[in-house]
Amino acid sequence: MPRREDVRFLRGEATYLDDIELPDLLEAAFVRSPFAHARLGAIDVEAALALPGVAAVFTGADLGKRARALPAGAVDDGIVADAGHPVLARDRVRYAGEAVALVVAESRAVAEDAAELVDVDYEPLQPVLDPRTAAGMPLLHDGVADNRLVTWQRTHGDVEGAFAAADRVVSQSFHIPRLVAAPIETRGAIARVEGDVLTVWCSAQDPHRPLAQLGVSLGRGPDSLRVVVPDVGGAFGSKGVVAPEVAAIACAAEDLGRPVRWTEDRAENFLAAYQGRGLDADVELAVSAEGRILGLRATLYPDLGAYLYATTAVAPHTTAMLITGAYDVAAASVEVVGAATTKVPTGPYRGAGRPEAAFLVERMVDLAARELGLEPLDVRRRNFVRPDAFPYETPMGWTYDSGDFERCLDAVLELAPLARWQELRDAARVEGRVVGVGVGMYIERAGGLWESAVVRVEPDGRVVVRTGSSPHGQGHETTFAQIAADELGVEPQAVELRWGDSGELPGVGTFASRSVAMGGSAVASAARELAERARDAGVSVTDLGGAEAESRFSSGLVFASGAYAALVEIERATGRLLVLGLAAVDDSGRIVNPLLAEGQVLGATVQGLGQCLVEEAVHDEEGQLRTASFADYSLLTAAELPPVESRFVETPSPLNPLGAKGIGEGGAIATPAAVANAVADALASFGVRHVDPPFTEAKLWSLLREAGP
Amino acid sequence: MKPAPFAYDAPRQLGEVLELLAREDEDVKVLAGGQSLVPLLNFRLARPDRLVDLNGVESLAYLRVEDGALRIGALARHADLERSAEVASGWPLLAEAVRHVGHPQIRVRGTVCGSVAHADPAAELPVALCVLDVRFHVRSVRGSRVLGADELFLGFLTTSLEPDELLVEIEVPAPPAGSGTGFAEHARTHGDFALGGAAALVAGEEARLALLGAGPVPVRFDGAPGDLPDAAVADLSLTGPDAEWRRALLRELARDALERAVA
Repeated sequence: MPRREDVRFLRGEATYLDDIELPDLLEAAFVRSPFAHARLGAIDVEAALALPGVAAVFTGADLGKRARALPAGAVDDGIVADAGHPVLARDRVRYAGEAVALVVAESRAVAEDAAELVDVDYEPLQPVLDPRTAAGMPLLHDGVADNRLVTWQRTHGDVEGAFAAADRVVSQSFHIPRLVAAPIETRGAIARVEGDVLTVWCSAQDPHRPLAQLGVSLGRGPDSLRVVVPDVGGAFGSKGVVAPEVAAIACAAEDLGRPVRWTEDRAENFLAAYQGRGLDADVELAVSAEGRILGLRATLYPDLGAYLYATTAVAPHTTAMLITGAYDVAAASVEVVGAATTKVPTGPYRGAGRPEAAFLVERMVDLAARELGLEPLDVRRRNFVRPDAFPYETPMGWTYDSGDFERCLDAVLELAPLARWQELRDAARVEGRVVGVGVGMYIERAGGLWESAVVRVEPDGRVVVRTGSSPHGQGHETTFAQIAADELGVEPQAVELRWGDSGELPGVGTFASRSVAMGGSAVASAARELAERARDAGVSVTDLGGAEAESRFSSGLVFASGAYAALVEIERATGRLLVLGLAAVDDSGRIVNPLLAEGQVLGATVQGLGQCLVEEAVHDEEGQLRTASFADYSLLTAAELPPVESRFVETPSPLNPLGAKGIGEGGAIATPAAVANAVADALASFGVRHVDPPFTEAKLWSLLREAGP
Repeated sequence: MKPAPFAYDAPRQLGEVLELLAREDEDVKVLAGGQSLVPLLNFRLARPDRLVDLNGVESLAYLRVEDGALRIGALARHADLERSAEVASGWPLLAEAVRHVGHPQIRVRGTVCGSVAHADPAAELPVALCVLDVRFHVRSVRGSRVLGADELFLGFLTTSLEPDELLVEIEVPAPPAGSGTGFAEHARTHGDFALGGAAALVAGEEARLALLGAGPVPVRFDGAPGDLPDAAVADLSLTGPDAEWRRALLRELARDALERAVA
């Protein structure tokens, strides 16, 4: 069934944040720090205020206690510093692009003109750039020793014994660069105060988390704060936390008695929207001569940035929790040393800690196989969590609900087909070409917590579904209508979907590939209740005019999984990496809509390939973002997409009525691991052991040249 | 990303354009396709006092063949070049090179003369024009002059055009009889800024080669086709951590362009 929302989007009939018209609307622009780290002196706003069309200028001192820092988020068993993002900087700025003043004017153009006139005294301080050495650098936050924002450690089993008993210990250090999420629609919000109630229209992944976070910052509860999410042009994780700028314009709207809009521009989005990834790591694997993984030790050094958003600690925690991947490892010890650096904070970006975990463990398995002289696929099979072991508790303490990793691997070997790729590789090598084949497994934590739904039959027989889960590209209007229609025995076209208003329905929101498993299950449960009522009454569902059922569905985490394979060639003359083929097998449990599921696989795969080929947020020694526009930061286009074959394995989750797991992120998680293993395979005969992404031409060419002809 | 305030004129006649450009008390910029200028304005990296919009000057909107030469008026778009049957048959190098300029949306709006006058070292057309022995026709209220490529391109985003001058036409002579041409470039993604490029023209044992990404201006070399790739890159003064990779890339692109030229 095709996406039914596309007609609206393709005709330009969607209503994004910037399309909303309100009377008396003012526009906002921010004065942003040009320094990565500086003491903030006097701020002179007189010239800006004098510009015709300027309504007000606010500094951190003006907002004072009315706007507290956004809340930092905790993780289980972690020590997390109290270092939430301030709404406007006071006393110090900690990354280039941090907002120090807000200008509100009749138009954005005037606001930008005025922002240039705000005179700020900065006393530059030493930037802190490397998460591995941040502890010895000038402290960024009072009361945060060693620049340590997040500390987490967990050990399970006899790790020392495992390493003592190992035939071999395999070690590798890794660097996974930061990335930008770059949704087509940047961030933004409108704030309007009427009476005691603040309404915020926000380009967000859902209304619920902005409601909670703005509530903390502004001291407002749901009775005086309403968040509405209009159509959203993509997020990829980057709109799951409300931007501090939104709290600032809310204060301005309160003061001025007029609604205020902030539509972020692309330059701001590069500088100030939280970035993804950014992880250094040291990993050790204790293995037997036969390739059995006896133990794993890892230290993770996430480059968290200047402050902790509610979800900043989540990605490295997820990496730690998933670091044993698809493998049954008896003993493991992982430490997270989360550093404060003078860069924009990090946060979830499609994959959110899982790509890092897959990259680390899948590279380690290939390295172990190479050191032991074994086939990488054999080592994988020797260590997989067995299909009869579910529910399986990992050494880090998460419980995998379901899966069949060997079946995923078998499926991808057939899909590629891997044997033919290996023949191609071997034939190409005879000709002197540099070709490699690699496989990457992945585990995707998805779902968890709860989600809400209300299903109502209108007097005219139409069905209205209200969901706490919000779409921003996923296709809820199609899949959720299908889920309700299946339960109710009506046509999907008869089902209307509503979402995105915190005043309508509480909920949890859209993140972590949880929409179908959680939101879809809530819809299914509520619809099922109505269907049962109709059956008991001996009538058709459409005869239940006015009837309504509500569901709040909760479950533990579900774990999607899969296996990806890549065939790559490195052009000897230029070092350019050509991805010749990519095969994707995803086990997302039961699939509701195969077309949309494949769309998720392809979209995520392109982003995964971007991480391999071109994407890297680069900061210079002053802490300035060198890749601050699309002139310097490339995203892949359709022209770069290799042939991608997708197939699904379905092991239903026992934790929800749909049997669903997650589908949104697999391609972004597994592709870098598979491509990295293929690149390492291609370079192995040149004496190259490991390469960190992105696999740029200059990097690969230098490696080939150093190895000689 | 809104531009700083500026005055704006949209004249209909070339004479008016030249009068406006001659204003000495103001920094005046010409707006044609805007594909380079508007981003610079929006980043506030360019802050002219006045913009003179050429788009209403119909006499500049032409692409025609006259006396065997291709004449590209100041308002001819990249897409005009790309879609012209005469260009495809008579100047295939330009047809090939223009397809590497940005994306279709950019080519529909961007102008050939604008790209040349902007003199971005990563631009494709200056390099292609360089091997075709083109003549740049320049006008001002003071008169007119004709420049060769070596006279026009001075440095990074810098030409010998005076503030009051407008590049009104590029005259491209027919390539030598029996010659072949080829273009090759390398960018991170399709439509991205080129990291390197090469345009070649081969007529028997004589070849011309121009490189993109080899310096602040297009670099032209003449010689025997077999010697050119190595000879051209040997003397390039490239700096930075990737210098040797860029040299290898340019050699490969030169080879590729020369091979296409004889194919």
